[in-house]
Amino acid sequence: MGENLFVGMAHWLRAWLENQRFLPLVTDVLLMLLAVVGVLAFLFLNALFLIYYDRKFGAWVQARLGPNRVGPRGIFQTVADTVKLLAKEIFIPNNVDRWPYLLAPVLIFTIPVMLFMVIPFGKGMVPYDLNLGLLYFVAVTSVETIVLWMAGWSSNNKYSLLGAMRSVAQMLSYEMPVILAMLSVVLMVGSMKLSDIVAAQQKVWFIFLQPVGFLIYFVAVNAEIKRTPFDLVEGESEIISGPYTEYSGMNFALFFLAEYTNFMLAAMMVTTLFLGGWNAPFGWTFIPSWLWFLFKMYFVISLFMWTRWTFLRIRIDQMLSFAWKFLLPVALVNIFVTGFGLYLYRMIRW
Amino acid sequence: MNGTGLLKGLAITFKELWKKPVTLQYPDQKETLPPRFHGSFDLSPEKCIACGLCQQACPNKVIKVGAVKDENNKRKLASYEMEMKYCLFCGLCVEACPTNALTFTQEYELAKYRIEDVKLTLFKQEASSAGEGSENA
Repeated sequence: MGENLFVGMAHWLRAWLENQRFLPLVTDVLLMLLAVVGVLAFLFLNALFLIYYDRKFGAWVQARLGPNRVGPRGIFQTVADTVKLLAKEIFIPNNVDRWPYLLAPVLIFTIPVMLFMVIPFGKGMVPYDLNLGLLYFVAVTSVETIVLWMAGWSSNNKYSLLGAMRSVAQMLSYEMPVILAMLSVVLMVGSMKLSDIVAAQQKVWFIFLQPVGFLIYFVAVNAEIKRTPFDLVEGESEIISGPYTEYSGMNFALFFLAEYTNFMLAAMMVTTLFLGGWNAPFGWTFIPSWLWFLFKMYFVISLFMWTRWTFLRIRIDQMLSFAWKFLLPVALVNIFVTGFGLYLYRMIRW
Repeated sequence: MNGTGLLKGLAITFKELWKKPVTLQYPDQKETLPPRFHGSFDLSPEKCIACGLCQQACPNKVIKVGAVKDENNKRKLASYEMEMKYCLFCGLCVEACPTNALTFTQEYELAKYRIEDVKLTLFKQEASSAGEGSENA
């Protein structure tokens, strides 16, 4: 039940639109627009919920209650916050570089939207199944560095600049272990297509075959999305709020939402690469695949939050040396072992 | 070994995750106060002998006791005013009272909208307008 809910909806809509005797082009464009609106709505709502969930989770860890005033159990707290930010003036300081300053918050939100294109949400629910989906994912996430750099540089503020520099250093260093951990998965599958990777995990999830790879990916992606043990980019005690220092109102909200959307995407990527994507465990297929994907995603998100509310922010030099001196060698060894293991496996089989 | 502390920390936060919140939802729920809580003041005028010991004991000169002589040439309480903005709730007045006329109450939300309301009038003689400006009488 519900397995083909979204796919069926799309088919039904297409059939209905074709019955209206529109031009085929109009039908295509309309469906595309609807898909984009759907993805954006999902993105925004999920990001809003994630902010709420993050605050609630922190409250639970610290034996507090968390937001509980706006709406039942405070569920509308982030909605109220966003409305407040929407109503605020977009303030442009005197000496900022105007165009990059205004463009950065817009661009930063386009990146997660672009990334959603290749994520397999469920059985047959990939917006666009690229052959090199994984490469596309990595390439587009790296662009985020440039946008943060734009924000930091154009703000014309020492804290913004420092934060942007840190973000560049962090992204450059942690991109390595992230990609190497991904490569160990790619080695086993033999394809960069995300739907292939999910299909390869039908029997055994890669977390059991690649535990080291999973750990490396989990830690490195935690740094990539700038969550707490690695949130030096906006280390409040040192550099106010990093590249976001000069932003206010909706511009700031966009950065914030993009951050949480990236968070969600990282969780989706962990799910796809290591937790079997939309595959149901134990053959429990009575729950639709897209719901499984959502469950797993939220499980990974909870793991991320658990680490976030446990660990303290580390120093910038510690962070970089951790990436280059620990994660990178371990990832290289992991790749070597994976390759060797695969070779042995093939030798025994044939 | 390196890194075991991380796991220990994770275990602690995981345990804390299931504990009940300790937050008191203040305006909805209120704390139960100890019986000798230093809150606002209460005066029972029939016990008060207008001796003025509380006025003497007060370090900040908060209390003003007005006394009159009645027809039997006996001291009688005429008015009892406290400038609560100077009060430090030390309780020396309550201790000094020989007849236990002056007592503490459990009332602690003493913020007022107007500065005149801060003044606490615990007793005023019937003849002059009754019940004016007093919040806690």
